[in-house]
Amino acid sequence: MLIPRRVKFRKQHHPTRSGQATGGTKVTFGEYGIQALTPAYVTNRQIESARIAMTRHIKRGGKVWINIYPDRPLTKKPAETRMGSGKGSPEWWIANVKPGRVLFEISGVSEEVAREALRLAIHKLPLKARILRREGGD
Amino acid sequence: MAEQKLAAQMRTEFGKGAARRARRANLIPAVIYGHGAEALHISLPERETTRAARHANALLTLDIEGEVHLALVKDIQRDPLLQIIEHIDLLTVRSGEKVIVDVPVVLHGEVAPGAVSNQEEVTISIESEATHIPAHVEFSIEGRKVGEHVHAADLVLPKGSTLLTDPEMLIVNISEPTVQDLGVEDEAVTTTTPAAPAAE
Repeated sequence: MLIPRRVKFRKQHHPTRSGQATGGTKVTFGEYGIQALTPAYVTNRQIESARIAMTRHIKRGGKVWINIYPDRPLTKKPAETRMGSGKGSPEWWIANVKPGRVLFEISGVSEEVAREALRLAIHKLPLKARILRREGGD
Repeated sequence: MAEQKLAAQMRTEFGKGAARRARRANLIPAVIYGHGAEALHISLPERETTRAARHANALLTLDIEGEVHLALVKDIQRDPLLQIIEHIDLLTVRSGEKVIVDVPVVLHGEVAPGAVSNQEEVTISIESEATHIPAHVEFSIEGRKVGEHVHAADLVLPKGSTLLTDPEMLIVNISEPTVQDLGVEDEAVTTTTPAAPAAE
């Protein structure tokens, strides 16, 4: 699973979920990609789960790119504890995804296989998404 | 590539307010420049322009209030979510003039059994006549075996086009399929242990 090796601060504020993605909105490495349509915090487990769903479907051949990285920690207080006494302990690593962001890309397989693999991956993610094709071709 | 004819009109007001008003009126703000002439700010009809700009390096014949301009689509700004064209940069060209453009490389055919093709570069840079820019450069990878490479110099360009990309640049790499990490062990680990933030 994707986890930063070291970070400057263990506990961070919650990242802002407003606005749209300003970069990484096009399919650049592969032939097809998944584009987020709603904002979400995507955890490293969800990213891994989506990657496994894709690689299991394409079996042999093909190449998968992960365009997001879970570099933000989210904290959680233990259950049944009173408020106060400082911030909770880091529980999740998340990527802050905004609408328009391309999350995964795939190439080297037929269109039918690629679309099915990406459809399976979308089901592992906590957001609405669509499948995009790379621009510039015919 | 076939020329597309579009009727354009000059823009008299500028800024995001005016641009948004134009988009609401089904017009696309655009700018046309080149050959050292002063840039012209124009608006184009949305539907016809979107259809014309579907292909890379589209050539447009613009009728700007009676004056005819030949222009090449240089850059397109799209809304990432709505996928509508927000603005177009057009480059003035003359018939017969040579221009430098990026052309998509399209592969067809199936590689030998047990091999997979990885397309490392999807476009190549060529110099071509503005009125005869190829829509794409095709290359057959039929029956190619593991370990073979396709370089830019191997591509067959149409007459009148010259390659500007480094001829040694790798376009397609034929290799063995890589062993995919299917995450069987990962899943077993993640179901038994809670997420453990590693960073200090």
